[in-house]
Amino acid sequence: MTTNTTPGQVDEQPILRVENLTVEYRSEGFEPVAAVKNVSFTLRRGEFIGLVGESGSGKSTLGFALTRLAKPPATIVDGKILFHGSDIRTLDAEELRKQRRGGFAMVLQSGMNALNPVRTIRKHFHDIFRAHGHVEPGSFNARASELVRKVELPETVLDRFPGELSGGMRQRVSIALALSLEPELLVFDEPTTALDVLVQHAVMDTIRQLQASEGFTAILISHDLGIVLESTERVLVMHDGVVVEDGPSHQILDDPQAEYTRMLLSHYADPRAEEIHIPGFSTRGRSADAARAERATTSPRSDARAARRADASIVVEGASKVYAPPRRGEKPVVAVDNVSFTLAPGESLALVGQSGSGKSTIARLVTGAEKPSSGLVRFGDSNLASLRRRELRDLRKNVQMVFQDPYAALNPLHTVEYTLMRPILNFTERRGEAARERMLELLETVGLTPAETFAAKLPHQLSGGQRQRVVIARALASDPQVLVADEPVSMLDVSLRAGVLGLLEDLREQWGVSMLYITHDLLSARLVTDRMMVLNAGRVVESGPTADVLRNPSDEYTIRLLDAVPNPARAREGR
Amino acid sequence: MTSTTTPVRARALRGALRTVGRIASTIWSNPRARIGVVLLAIFILAATFAPWLAPYGASQDGFERSAGGSAAHWLGTTAAGEDVLSQIIWGARVSVFVGFAAGAIATVIAVLIGLSWGYSRGFGGEVVGFIVNLFLVIPGLPLMIVIASYLQNGGIAMIIAVIVVTGWAWGARVLRSQTQTLRSRDFVTAARFAGDSSFRIIFREILPNMTSLITGAFFGAATAAILAEAGLEFLGLGDPTTVSWGTMLFWAQNSNALLTGQWLLLFAPGLCIALLATSLTLINFGVDGISNPRLREGKGR
Repeated sequence: MTTNTTPGQVDEQPILRVENLTVEYRSEGFEPVAAVKNVSFTLRRGEFIGLVGESGSGKSTLGFALTRLAKPPATIVDGKILFHGSDIRTLDAEELRKQRRGGFAMVLQSGMNALNPVRTIRKHFHDIFRAHGHVEPGSFNARASELVRKVELPETVLDRFPGELSGGMRQRVSIALALSLEPELLVFDEPTTALDVLVQHAVMDTIRQLQASEGFTAILISHDLGIVLESTERVLVMHDGVVVEDGPSHQILDDPQAEYTRMLLSHYADPRAEEIHIPGFSTRGRSADAARAERATTSPRSDARAARRADASIVVEGASKVYAPPRRGEKPVVAVDNVSFTLAPGESLALVGQSGSGKSTIARLVTGAEKPSSGLVRFGDSNLASLRRRELRDLRKNVQMVFQDPYAALNPLHTVEYTLMRPILNFTERRGEAARERMLELLETVGLTPAETFAAKLPHQLSGGQRQRVVIARALASDPQVLVADEPVSMLDVSLRAGVLGLLEDLREQWGVSMLYITHDLLSARLVTDRMMVLNAGRVVESGPTADVLRNPSDEYTIRLLDAVPNPARAREGR
Repeated sequence: MTSTTTPVRARALRGALRTVGRIASTIWSNPRARIGVVLLAIFILAATFAPWLAPYGASQDGFERSAGGSAAHWLGTTAAGEDVLSQIIWGARVSVFVGFAAGAIATVIAVLIGLSWGYSRGFGGEVVGFIVNLFLVIPGLPLMIVIASYLQNGGIAMIIAVIVVTGWAWGARVLRSQTQTLRSRDFVTAARFAGDSSFRIIFREILPNMTSLITGAFFGAATAAILAEAGLEFLGLGDPTTVSWGTMLFWAQNSNALLTGQWLLLFAPGLCIALLATSLTLINFGVDGISNPRLREGKGR
């Protein structure tokens, strides 16, 4: 443990000491699986540390174990968790409940959904005050107001119901609720992952300020090394249940020791940089922007797949989409407001914005799933608003969709083979063995080899990245001219993102399909798109070549989006 | 095309067999459901092999009337001089058959209506909704009694028809709500993008994800059918000349079996009805894991 301690604190007891902790998942009839293996670390009072790892690394299991929230089948098989010198494993239920005040608390990723929808926020606070009796009944309201102000919410939220608050506000409320118990140790488990980019940034700022002003000890669990490095003083990197690196943030950034940390770091880059090197992309060597500029000017290369090249553009002219008001008497919702653009054959266009900016509505308009309230959406010569069922099928053949969530986009009960055969049988002339050959070929195209093995698998036997490859293969099965990709990598681990993005980019080059890439992630947009449109509240606020927009943003909203990108390099600046 | 479809067909058949095997092994792996399966198996075996198992014929009379249990007649005899044990064994046939037939037909109707109702958006759905609600608000037992007395003495087929007519609506309602949640899942949208027809999406994408619900609905409907069948026959609305647990209760009540101290005449068929219904309910405990392959393999993400 090489943490730099200031002289005055040297003899101070650590607030938390974890010794050789091993946690296993034990379910009947299965071999126990160790999620946390022999982990040891200490935490000094007032320290703010980060716990980083990809899904399955055991970081959340560790967090749950620390706060005694681990439930079967997770079992602590070995080791000690000493909180103020006493092992929390030995606490009984009532001692544990008392410990929740002034002891340790946890803020969950889904904490914003943990509020009771039929009780006002004020009642949530009162419940806690009453249960622990640490606030005089007379000062319940004063204390609640004070806590709500601490998390930068107006006092009026106290009389609202959870359903009336946004996701960010609810997460702030759950942080305030955790704070109301005046914990010494607060564990944040992915506190901002379910939130929107800009909100995420703001909530993290609040957490940082609170930690500094309240002086509690905190552990921030996240999959995002960027967020953790820019927020915390010390970082533990977990991989396969083992802490592979433990050190001060700036040291991890400048001189990562573990191979795994280096790999994670290599996937971060500033989207504003002149050149970007991400593993899997740098293989193409030269600056991607230059390559794109070249491609845009020269005619399509004549390779074997030239026959498949896109020849029709998607044209959107002054399209608006207005939804009926959610409640009587309210204003109608304008999701898309007078948007115009053209997606030329073979081009790649990014639609960027936070949720509610109208980017997904545009995707639905372009795929014919919805009709514009006014304006025109055309594919080639056909107006999408006037398509009959038959023509809509033809449109689907040419305009395909890559879904956001690979876990939801595949029917859990169908094999990969069945999933891929459907569009082949529906949209192409291939039948029987020819169709099957095509299916295997698609699997090879998306890099799932040996294809025969993958064809027989069910979705739950595949990893997230592999599933997303199947989703992409399915989108390609009908030889489409346009791919609409709706946040295709946002659900994937950092290390898998580059692979999927690289695949999309290669497919676009080889097959000449055009792509509408919808995202809030500016870095990935920089990697795979030529042009970019920034949307705010249904309007296009800025558009142009991707690199230009990102490097010289002119609209204030674009600048805010850019500032919200987690940037490990900020760890260097010090806070 | 003819030659190449054969392996595809074979694969499909193998897939179907795998599904059935999967359902069976999932149910068997649950201890409570296992008890239910054993119980149900006993009843089915008794019903199937009644001619060999029963010591006498079902309607064979001429024995001493209203006798207590003895070595010759373990459960005694009825007021008409028939062997009670033989009647119980033969009677299992009607109960098991009516339960499964009525349960299956009601479930099929519930699936067809519930799924198409849940998948379609528009005016058609409103109309179906009205009809289903109509069947839901009509009290079941009086309706059954009215229909049954209207179709006097139609025998087992009539009883099955009555149970189906009054029993499908609830299942349709449940399956419809599940269909509505599945309808908006990404994989259903994806199937639409893959060019699949609505019919195919409903029956190949949505339906397999509701196996546990449908299996549950079937066992629930079968239980209700067994109880309804016994109830109708006890009220004398079936054909009193067939031998079933319901008619046994009917005749026992008619001959004031309780007053004459022959409680076994009521107790034995009553217990059998209760045990058969229990066995199906127990099996239902094991049904949950069917739709969720992850649950089964026990390695949650």
